[in-house]
Amino acid sequence: MLLKIWEILSKYYVDILIGVGYTMLVALIGTVVGLVIGILIGVYRTIPDPRNKTALVFKKIGDWLLTAYVEIFRGTPMMVQAMVIFWGFAELNDGMTLDVTVSGLIIVSINTGAYMAEIVRGGIISIDKGQFEGAHALGLTHTQTMFNVVLPQALRNILPSVSNEFVINIKDTSVLNVIGFTELFFVAKDIVTQTYETFPTYLLVAIVYFILTFGISMLLRFIERKMDGSKNYKVLGSQNMDAESFAREARNG
Amino acid sequence: MAEKTTPYLQNDDSTAADVGQPIVKIEHLGKSFGDHAVLKDIDFAVNKGDVTCVIGPSGSGKSTLLRCINLFEKPTVGRILFHGEDVTATRKPYLLRQKVGMVFQSFNLFNNLNVLHNCTLGPRKVFKMSKADAEQLALRHLKTVGMDAYVNAKPRQLSGGQKQRVAIARALCMDPEVLLFDEPTSALDPEMVGEVLSAMKTLAEGGLTMIVVTHEMSFARDVANHVVFMDGGVIVEEGAPAQIFDDPREERTKAFLSRNKAVN
Ligand SMILES: Nc1ncnc2c1ncn2[C@@H]1O[C@H](COP(=O)(O)OP(=O)(O)OP(=O)(O)O)[C@@H](O)[C@H]1O
Ligand SMILES: [Mg+2]
Repeated sequence: MLLKIWEILSKYYVDILIGVGYTMLVALIGTVVGLVIGILIGVYRTIPDPRNKTALVFKKIGDWLLTAYVEIFRGTPMMVQAMVIFWGFAELNDGMTLDVTVSGLIIVSINTGAYMAEIVRGGIISIDKGQFEGAHALGLTHTQTMFNVVLPQALRNILPSVSNEFVINIKDTSVLNVIGFTELFFVAKDIVTQTYETFPTYLLVAIVYFILTFGISMLLRFIERKMDGSKNYKVLGSQNMDAESFAREARNG
Repeated sequence: MAEKTTPYLQNDDSTAADVGQPIVKIEHLGKSFGDHAVLKDIDFAVNKGDVTCVIGPSGSGKSTLLRCINLFEKPTVGRILFHGEDVTATRKPYLLRQKVGMVFQSFNLFNNLNVLHNCTLGPRKVFKMSKADAEQLALRHLKTVGMDAYVNAKPRQLSGGQKQRVAIARALCMDPEVLLFDEPTSALDPEMVGEVLSAMKTLAEGGLTMIVVTHEMSFARDVANHVVFMDGGVIVEEGAPAQIFDDPREERTKAFLSRNKAVN
């Protein structure tokens, strides 16, 4: 058995690496773009209602559209979304299909965005109201408050959920094989049609998936710890230190 | 979008027309939450250099009054004038808040930033001050409150008294015309109350205009030049500290003060 797996690996490692590359590319970009979508939606949703009537109507319409987006993409399988978007594009363009890699990136991004929107919103509303008031009391606008005070804290708090989305995306890009995207699962199917070694091939691929997801989990947990910074701080001592060297120490510290 | 530029944005506070005019004036202010009237017909003025202490029982509306002054709460009726200009319905309350600072009972330091950057954020974002200038400014004010040695610390690494002193320095960095304090020592352990009050006393002596909601009667007596007693959403009595504390005219004030003495 091990021998068979080894044979497959040594014969097809290039294809497998290409599959890994495409899987990671789509998972990474999809997660990052999804997070950006999520942040934009999360911020939009926490803008206080404008007093102006027309502005309020537009805000409500925007809210409604975003809710529809989130619910539709969370409420349907990504495999189906992939088919609808890929073939929908072809339908609208006289049968011309979109590049599968581009399609894959778009699908994973907007699918992840729908989940991230909720994750980010949860992160923002879990931040203490005092943080907003502290910033508003200085005269910061809503946007300045969001980007300098609230989002940095919210993002730190949601990092575990974001990592989780990344890991899910590594696995879920496998559904993109339905549109012929050459990610890892597609490569596996391809190997099987050539070798007829179904079990060893999929076992090998399972191991590869696991190494990817486990490695990423470890990496992100390491990043989390780094972000938390040191537990200690230095009390700056000498009375005769001038302001500039204070500031310098403060920056470096 | 072409909104009239507001004079308080551009002018310094010491224009000739301003002389003798209060910085903040409140006229017939009322505030209700639903049908609960929390403030009723409040009239009140703050002049440059005033140190006003607002005292009164819990639930009397002291915090709500303070939060109306910097537009955290929208008054139900009445007007708030800043240098004579009606700001009650302004669409840009943040412009007012750049001039009217606030220090909170719960500090509200930014948890993601260290002490230095808590202080530099306002000047950098609001006044577009350079990083170096903002840091100099922050260090100056941190020194005033004795917290300059802690520039690297994150808020969670500080004691309550230290946090509150940083919060005061942060507010000072905006060079406010009026600084509002909402029970700045109520969340502190007794041994830390003194350090915060003495920092506030230093500011008062330096001429900062302050409105302080407090339960610290000795602070009100020693530092304030004007004391306001509130009860049930109205100003029951106001005057010089000696008059309010030694010779209160209203029964409600007497009752409150004697109850307070019994506690202390
Ligand atoms: N956002 C709100 N919604 C509804 N009621 C409120 C709100 N804020 C305050 N109140 C009510 O208004 C009244 C006055 O509250 P306020 O906080 O101004 O009192 P206070 O004098 O500051 O009291 P304390 O000394 O306990 O801080 C209270 O009865 C309170 O329950
Ligand atoms: Mg209060």
